[in-house]
Amino acid sequence: MDRDALAAEVKQLLVTGLRLDRPPSDIPDDSPIFGDGLGLDSIDALELVVLVEDRFRVSIPDEEVGKRAFASVRALVDFIAEERQP
Amino acid sequence: MRQVAVTGLGAVTALGADVAALAAGLADGRSPLGPLTRFVHGGRCQLAAEVPELAPPAAAFGALRPATIRRLSRPDRLALITIEQALREAGLQPPDLAGAGLFVGATVGGMGETEEAYRRHRAGEDRRYRLSRLLGTPLSTSASAAAQAFGIYGPRATFSTACSSSALAIAEAAAAVASATVPAAIAVGTDALCRITFAGFDALQTLDPQGCRPFDRDRAGLTLGEGAAALVLEDIEHARARGARVIARVLGHATTTDAHHVTAPDPEGQAALGALRGALDAAALPPEAVDYVNAHGTGTRQNDEAEVRVLRAVFGDRLPRIPVSSTKAQLGHCLGAAGAVEAVVTVLALDGSLLPATATLREPDPAWSDLDLVPAAGRRQPLEVALTSSYGFGGHNVTLVLGRGV
Repeated sequence: MDRDALAAEVKQLLVTGLRLDRPPSDIPDDSPIFGDGLGLDSIDALELVVLVEDRFRVSIPDEEVGKRAFASVRALVDFIAEERQP
Repeated sequence: MRQVAVTGLGAVTALGADVAALAAGLADGRSPLGPLTRFVHGGRCQLAAEVPELAPPAAAFGALRPATIRRLSRPDRLALITIEQALREAGLQPPDLAGAGLFVGATVGGMGETEEAYRRHRAGEDRRYRLSRLLGTPLSTSASAAAQAFGIYGPRATFSTACSSSALAIAEAAAAVASATVPAAIAVGTDALCRITFAGFDALQTLDPQGCRPFDRDRAGLTLGEGAAALVLEDIEHARARGARVIARVLGHATTTDAHHVTAPDPEGQAALGALRGALDAAALPPEAVDYVNAHGTGTRQNDEAEVRVLRAVFGDRLPRIPVSSTKAQLGHCLGAAGAVEAVVTVLALDGSLLPATATLREPDPAWSDLDLVPAAGRRQPLEVALTSSYGFGGHNVTLVLGRGV
């Protein structure tokens, strides 16, 4: 899968998985996932770990990995591209 | 003891998204019952009194953060919408709100969302349970969301006494105001349709697939409804001092217990009778003062029979001259919300001089063909004092005595 398609899939997962009230195309690649960016909070963080792990077969075992993976949409796409199991 | 004023109302019911829509629907007697759409139910009854699509104003959720609003369960959402309506009408401002009490009645909480989480897991749509779908499970979340949304820091409690839950919330809110514990209190009832109640009532064969017909000869059970209603109760002097309109007054209330059966009411209605008499005693009013009775009137054979027996015991030969109606014919049985919804209905009757109907009544049961059950549509009539009773499964009886505003 190319990077753009993966980014689109991640944004779609954010919107449908967390029931965000905005179209996926409105989410910029460099948007921070937490804090002011998408208005997500700590409960969304827990949910997002489950959603991303189950969809992309990656493992986010601790906060350190989580911080790196969820720094931005771009960072999350990079993380998945690197870590996902074939 | 302080006098208790009603200074604000809120309601979201099958008849519409606010109190004005409720009042209009009660006046014309229309039936909003329709096919169940909220989930798939495999049983015999497919009829419900569903709340139409919600489109609340942003103010409905007060100071809650967008992420919190996004995850609210349906009953929490309904509760917040009606509380905001009631606070807006009452004009209660943050300093008064800060010391106010908050009393909620509910029976299922976010059960609908919990059921959906289970369904998604079983269907393989969610490999693991999602926290967001389970957050609204405790019955107490409506009260905590409301306190956070509107800055309410006074005493707070959630009651779950089956179908009298929010009538009890009103009684406790009134008691807190009357005893000067708080200057104002918000009483709320909220419940949404969910699979467990729908399947449960259907399995008990208490749902009428044709729609409930309270007090009718051919009555065959209830229709489940959903919704929420809120009342702002306030020390009448406090209300007058700030120039708030006194829409109605809570004159008395009483609560008793059947100790009889898990679902059936005590056929002799001794405890229900005690609640009715106790509420009149608390109001220091004789039965002759009562102009209207908003009945529990579920439309089951047992309830209506026991309820008429209680009314005859209290009002005797005068009963045929007192209008008695069940608005569950239009609104369905809103379970934990029923007490608050029907208290709002009764306040509207007093305030608007309009008797709400038993809208689906065609042929009254011969056992009470002498009664004025207000068939078809609402009827204009000035009222001073009205009763509303709620009887919960397991024998939780609550009667409220309400008076016209002064």
